Amino acid sequence: MYRKLRLCSNNGGFEAIPDPPCPIDLARARDRLAAAEVPVVDARVMLIATLPPEVTISRAGRLLFKTRDAADAEAGFARLRALLDLPPLADGPG
Amino acid sequence: MARGVMLMSGGIDSPVALHYMLRLGHEMTAVHLDNRPFTDDSPYTKILDHLEILRARYAQPIPLYVLPHGPTQVTLMRETDRHVGCVMCRRFMWRSAERIAEREGATFLATGEALGQVASQTLSNMRSATAAVALPIVRPLIGLDKQEIERVAREIGTYEISTRPGVCCQAVPDKPATRSNLVQILAQEDRIDVDRMVDDCVRHAVVR
Repeated sequence: MYRKLRLCSNNGGFEAIPDPPCPIDLARARDRLAAAEVPVVDARVMLIATLPPEVTISRAGRLLFKTRDAADAEAGFARLRALLDLPPLADGPG
Repeated sequence: MARGVMLMSGGIDSPVALHYMLRLGHEMTAVHLDNRPFTDDSPYTKILDHLEILRARYAQPIPLYVLPHGPTQVTLMRETDRHVGCVMCRRFMWRSAERIAEREGATFLATGEALGQVASQTLSNMRSATAAVALPIVRPLIGLDKQEIERVAREIGTYEISTRPGVCCQAVPDKPATRSNLVQILAQEDRIDVDRMVDDCVRHAVVR
């Protein structure tokens, strides 16, 4: 389960944090994104995919959507979840 | 007065540092290492707004060089020890700024660094980072605390710009080194082609 999306500390984007932890196999995620023709930068310890919005995917499962629009971030999460088989977002407060 | 190159980040400190250098009458060029995709476009747009204010205040053109730093970050993250990532990153910033200084005929580099604000700003990290370049480095804010810097930023009208929302640098490691030594850093740089990386970065500079 991912906690509800919330603005990051500098209010520049929305982050999603898995609880309990949900590590992501980045090599596998990169291949899946590439197969879906999603542009992706592989920095080994993280991926940066342009859905849009652009999203940073960490090994620990933390996601950062670079948009200040909550609806865009939620749409991005839904697409990424489908592509990578991620757990759902929690309904309650983050 | 001398000609210098100021590293600009979009944060609170660098426009204040630039203000001090301009106030003394130095002729300054700004350099921004564009960290996308590890940030968003907010640092860049903030710097454009900072420079608009300072250009008007000091009637100086203050050219801005924007250099792509994202590809460098990717290589550093893939090939070198994450623990010293901030120091490695800073070394590339300084090298690129020095190349721009050569192009502009500048005789010094400048930065808004103050001691101890972030991981890269310890004495050992500053030493490791700046050992990458030969030009002298000026730090107008080194003895100021954050409150003093913010007060000046408000006075010159850059504070509200700097504090607009933005994505923090995603390349910062979870536990960045606060102490580094040059031998350790040089061993990391043996794994990568430093000259080619700096060449690539500077070759794609855009002047605004």
